[in-house]
Amino acid sequence: MALVLIYSFVRFSSGYTGGFISRVSYSLAPSIGINFSTGVSGFTDALLILSVIVIFISTLIAEKKELDRVMFSYILTTESGLIGVLISRDFLFFYIFWEVVLIPVYFMIAQFGSFRKESVGLKFFVYTHIGSVFLLLSIFAVYTYHFDQTGVLTFQIGSLMTNSTFSYMPVFWRDFTIFGFLFAFLVKMPVFPLHSWLPDSYESAPYPATVILSGGLSLMGGLGLFGILLPVTQSLGTFVLSFLIALGIISLVYFALAAMMQSSLKRMMALASAASMGFVVLAFGAGGLETGYEKTLELSGGMFQIVAHGLIMAFVFSALYFIKRSTGKENIHEMGGIFRETPFLASFLLAGLLASLGLPGMAGFIGEFSVLVGSFQAIGWVILLVIFGMILTASYHIWAAQRSLYGPYNENLGRIRDSGTYQTVVLGASLVVILILGIFPNLLFGLLTAYTGGL
Amino acid sequence: MYIYGWLIFITPIVGAFLSFALGRHDRRLAGPIASLAIGLSLVFSILAFFRVQSSGPIDNSYNWFFNINAGIYIDHLALVMVLMVSFVSLMIHIFAMYYMGEDPNRHIYFAETALFTSGMLGLVVSSNLVLFFLFWELVGLCSYLLVGFWFFKPNATSAAKKAFIVTRVGDLLFLIGMAILYFSLMGYPGLTSGVSPLDIPFLINHAQSIASYVGPNTLGAVAVLFLGAAAGKSAQFPLHVWIPDAMEGPTTVSALIHAATMVTAGVYLVARVFPIFYYSAPFALYSVVAVGAFTAFFAGIIGIVVNDIKRILAYSTISQIGYMMAAIGLGSVIGYSGVSYGMFHLVVHADFKALLFMCAGAILIALMDLRDTREMGGLWRRMPITVTLLLIGSLALVAFPGTAGYFSKDSIIAASWIYFEKSGSPYAIIPWILLAGGSLLTALYTFRMFFRVALGKPRSYLAEKAHDPKPVVLIPLMILGAGALFLGLIQPYFYRYVYSQAVVPSIPLYIEAIPITLMAIGIIVTYFIYGTERYKKIDISKNLGYRIVKNKFYLDRLFTNVIAERFIAAFSGATASFEASYNRGVEGVGDGTLNLGAFFRKLQNGVIENYFIFLIIGISVIFIIIEILGVL
Repeated sequence: MALVLIYSFVRFSSGYTGGFISRVSYSLAPSIGINFSTGVSGFTDALLILSVIVIFISTLIAEKKELDRVMFSYILTTESGLIGVLISRDFLFFYIFWEVVLIPVYFMIAQFGSFRKESVGLKFFVYTHIGSVFLLLSIFAVYTYHFDQTGVLTFQIGSLMTNSTFSYMPVFWRDFTIFGFLFAFLVKMPVFPLHSWLPDSYESAPYPATVILSGGLSLMGGLGLFGILLPVTQSLGTFVLSFLIALGIISLVYFALAAMMQSSLKRMMALASAASMGFVVLAFGAGGLETGYEKTLELSGGMFQIVAHGLIMAFVFSALYFIKRSTGKENIHEMGGIFRETPFLASFLLAGLLASLGLPGMAGFIGEFSVLVGSFQAIGWVILLVIFGMILTASYHIWAAQRSLYGPYNENLGRIRDSGTYQTVVLGASLVVILILGIFPNLLFGLLTAYTGGL
Repeated sequence: MYIYGWLIFITPIVGAFLSFALGRHDRRLAGPIASLAIGLSLVFSILAFFRVQSSGPIDNSYNWFFNINAGIYIDHLALVMVLMVSFVSLMIHIFAMYYMGEDPNRHIYFAETALFTSGMLGLVVSSNLVLFFLFWELVGLCSYLLVGFWFFKPNATSAAKKAFIVTRVGDLLFLIGMAILYFSLMGYPGLTSGVSPLDIPFLINHAQSIASYVGPNTLGAVAVLFLGAAAGKSAQFPLHVWIPDAMEGPTTVSALIHAATMVTAGVYLVARVFPIFYYSAPFALYSVVAVGAFTAFFAGIIGIVVNDIKRILAYSTISQIGYMMAAIGLGSVIGYSGVSYGMFHLVVHADFKALLFMCAGAILIALMDLRDTREMGGLWRRMPITVTLLLIGSLALVAFPGTAGYFSKDSIIAASWIYFEKSGSPYAIIPWILLAGGSLLTALYTFRMFFRVALGKPRSYLAEKAHDPKPVVLIPLMILGAGALFLGLIQPYFYRYVYSQAVVPSIPLYIEAIPITLMAIGIIVTYFIYGTERYKKIDISKNLGYRIVKNKFYLDRLFTNVIAERFIAAFSGATASFEASYNRGVEGVGDGTLNLGAFFRKLQNGVIENYFIFLIIGISVIFIIIEILGVL
């Protein structure tokens, strides 16, 4: 009964925040030098929709028998942290919420994880926390120099993150601040050298937590880049932006190569998730260097990719979860031909894989297309490397589908159950969202282009 | 907004969902629903035809996202394609009700083929390259799903994977082409608001000024990338490797996707944006003609040594699409007429190749999916209607005078002679040599297949027991057979419909006679070898040339065994192990930190004397350091 109550509460809360989206509110509550102020831009609006949907999916798929009711409270805490991060227009609260998100996720992994759960949870926590420390230091640096320059003590993101503040700072502190911000955001993203927490956490976490990690937490990195750093792209300088482009492309190719040889579908999709966040980093770097309508397309595409990636990963992991529950397996070579017994689940997983490789008609295509087509101005023929990464991506997705879903049925699995009505509805609804965004992208894309300054 | 234009491709989507949803409960409903939907889109296509006749091209487009539009653009070129696709698809759907009649998953089959048809029709009518690409991938997806339709066959799933990945390579080249075009058009004065840089009507109407704005070489690069995409989809050298494997799917799928419609999408792409090719640097159209003519010849050679009836047809498809490509590529000298020639061969080929595949399908049903032509023989007597239809298709394929194939294909060969005459360069003879030589090869592989199937004694038990299906299921084949015989009559009208200045090429009779003679030689030679028992005496299996051709020039092996397995897989394995050790390294750092903490924890054991000792040691160390530094 209590579970049902919590369950309905979750529904209500998700629905409530869902209602928040449509209007842009700006409320200020001054206290001792620090304001608690919230506001929603077109971009954070898109992310709010994403986070609400992802959390919603996560609660819907959470199995009541396997997971304690405390799981739901973790999910809710994460949600409030996420929403706090998204709507804060004040650095201190931004930071607080940023940290709030970590704690419940740590507990989700450490308490319900599947293998080496404590150490994996600790790794996740320490890794991302180091990022947060740099974020805090950078915030203080900007805060101090802003005070030095103008004599106003404020944590307002809008007034701190300006090119004038950054150009006022001495070179060392400016570089340190930029490094700190980028480090914090890129760990969350994650990009190539800072990703080591990701495969383990994704794989060990229980599926609802994986959904949150892939859909909700990766959003924070994107929010950092496009929400916080976008106004100061000029101060970042060409070198940093080119470096980000390089990181984005390296992540794309590297994760694709690493994912190809994974035997666990869950770990493979974790790496695929990281690879497709490479597009976001690439979009930010390339968009910062570009001019004209390509810049708008590139930046909006990057932001769209965050949303699309979150939805798709939430969908893929939900489908995987149901397959895991049905077959008891998540390793590619332990499955095989399950399409025969579970046509619905297998089709959903295939749809998720196709969406993840950027098939047109699905949300992922719009993001990847915009990023790729928009990036030619900044990267020229390096685009071939991106294409190489995309070919690899297509290859390992399709290869995994071939080995796990098709071919002769693996009789060791015995008789397995296909998805029930409930599961079909949940998966079908998520797929419909992905398709709608892929076919009518302007629902979000308009918001995002407006955010980046329009045509 | 011209609603019937939209309905052309929306109807089959609805049909796909309906035939899946209703077919789940009653399998018998699936086929009729899908066929009805395709029939409706044929009706809408005909309506669109009259609309275009009366009031010019239809162009409705709306903002899709940012400055990318989505919409329909139907002109004469699109119309011939729309009519062909919906008609051939309808015929194949009707035949599939028989061919797939017993399959337990036929509701899925019909939903997927209807979805495919919708994607193909959408591709043809779409007004923007991005939307074009969406449908382009949708048909690729349907091809993937349908090749792997019998998912329990390992061959089929691996063929599906290969098809998807190889065409994906081409598709991504398409994306790069769009990226360059999109970038280069920034600041182009013709880009008023509401016009998307990737709109097809915009591109083809302004091609000349676009070429001078972005520079012919850049535009040529775009064109070549588009050609790469077309090569992937249309199975042109060197991306043709997926199509013979794709024959593992149901035969109606091969007829629909891998013979008549989807594989011609690449040709359609080149024809669609032909002005871009035409006004860009000359290397763009040179590469089209080179790829086309070479593939036409190359695939013909492989076709001669293949034994699987469907694979022979697959190589012949590759080769015939090479003719279409070459025809369009000739456009650098003969202008837009090349598009007319290519498109006519496309339509005629769709007709007779669908016929050939469906005949093969009928034979395969009778022979319980035995595809090896060496095991057939004597079927003409046992399956007279089917094999006669097969003969009609084969005659059209080898361009026997009087059949439709003759009008479409020999005109291309003739046009390539005109190309040589007009261009003046001695190298310009190469396309003509390849294409005319191709007609010998076509005759060789086609009639090698036909004589093995039709004549002689049955060489297997199954072939002895074969018999015709009920004549009623062969009606679609008969309609297509009539087309294969008589479509040639519309040749001049067709040419003028696609491009108003196009005429049937006329060249000296002695040149005209060469391909026909070669074709006749081919038929006679194959009759002497395979129409009789002589082939048993010939053993060329030790011959080096034979082995190279039999191994498909080692291209499949290069792609699969070298690039995919040796290179990519090794590279990926190395990355995965690096990833694992990197992961361990990071954890090592974490463990090190923890151990360090543990070490210092031991020091804090609460014994004051120890603290004092450490203090003294520490101070002494500091003093020693100072001393050393002072000395230095």
